[in-house]
Amino acid sequence: MNKPVQAGGSLPSLALAQQQLIKMPYAAFLGVSLRVGPDGLETSTRSRADLIGNTNLPALHGGVIGSLLDITGMLTLVFLKALDQSPRLIDMDIDYLRSGQAQPTHGRAEIVRGGRRMANLRAVLWQDDPERPIAIGRLQFLLPKTEATRGGLEVSR
Amino acid sequence: MVLDEADTGPGVAVLLPGAARLSGDDQDEVFHTGVILATLDNTAGWCIRDHPDYVEGTSMATLDLRVDFVTPASLRETLRVRAVCEGFDGDIAFVRATAETLNTKVLIATGQATFMLGTPSGPNPATPANPVGGSLE
Repeated sequence: MNKPVQAGGSLPSLALAQQQLIKMPYAAFLGVSLRVGPDGLETSTRSRADLIGNTNLPALHGGVIGSLLDITGMLTLVFLKALDQSPRLIDMDIDYLRSGQAQPTHGRAEIVRGGRRMANLRAVLWQDDPERPIAIGRLQFLLPKTEATRGGLEVSR
Repeated sequence: MVLDEADTGPGVAVLLPGAARLSGDDQDEVFHTGVILATLDNTAGWCIRDHPDYVEGTSMATLDLRVDFVTPASLRETLRVRAVCEGFDGDIAFVRATAETLNTKVLIATGQATFMLGTPSGPNPATPANPVGGSLE
């Protein structure tokens, strides 16, 4: 899904994505791990009792699902654009499609549009079947400032 | 997160003190956006249960949630998240929520969510064909 399309002229960097993951204690608390598969970067999170929001079903907490979309989007952006600083999430919109079961959850994202200052991403989470997503998200990130964008300077090309 | 018992409304308010494991960046020491989102989602669910027309025991599922992250919040702060149910008809509930710093009253995030009520409250059947769902509070 997140084909390594070159945005910004850099090669995808799993090392930078891992580094970003380590920098986020909350992602470590959720137990997020990373791998690069044939379709690009994929996040995985094991099921755990304290991530369940409804213990009767049981179902994964909606906040955990939203957080996993957030983390998946951010790490995909860092991976694809090889960012060495954190992008900042400005807003996101989640559609909950199915209840998340007490089982491993996987995530993937793609850059819909990557500009110099902003990036728009689409993220998806699934459990046993990638064709049956449990949630999808639209995310807008403010990119870290670079020489070209610092001070609001617009460089026309 | 704890319910702000002293709060007089509108809706319900929840307090979330900063903690190291909630950090989004171990250098900047700010709340992870996912933590703010999760608290907004949870508080939104609580405010529906607090609605006068809510029937005790009715389960609910978040259909969608949108959050604007206005300002990054330092982990040294406590967040107060307020959620107000703006529409409720027994099937669907509409909620607006905000997060601000408790002491300095800086707006951190705003959110808007839609919930479906009366969703299945027992374990899902063995067949995975369950079209209804979402995250249950």
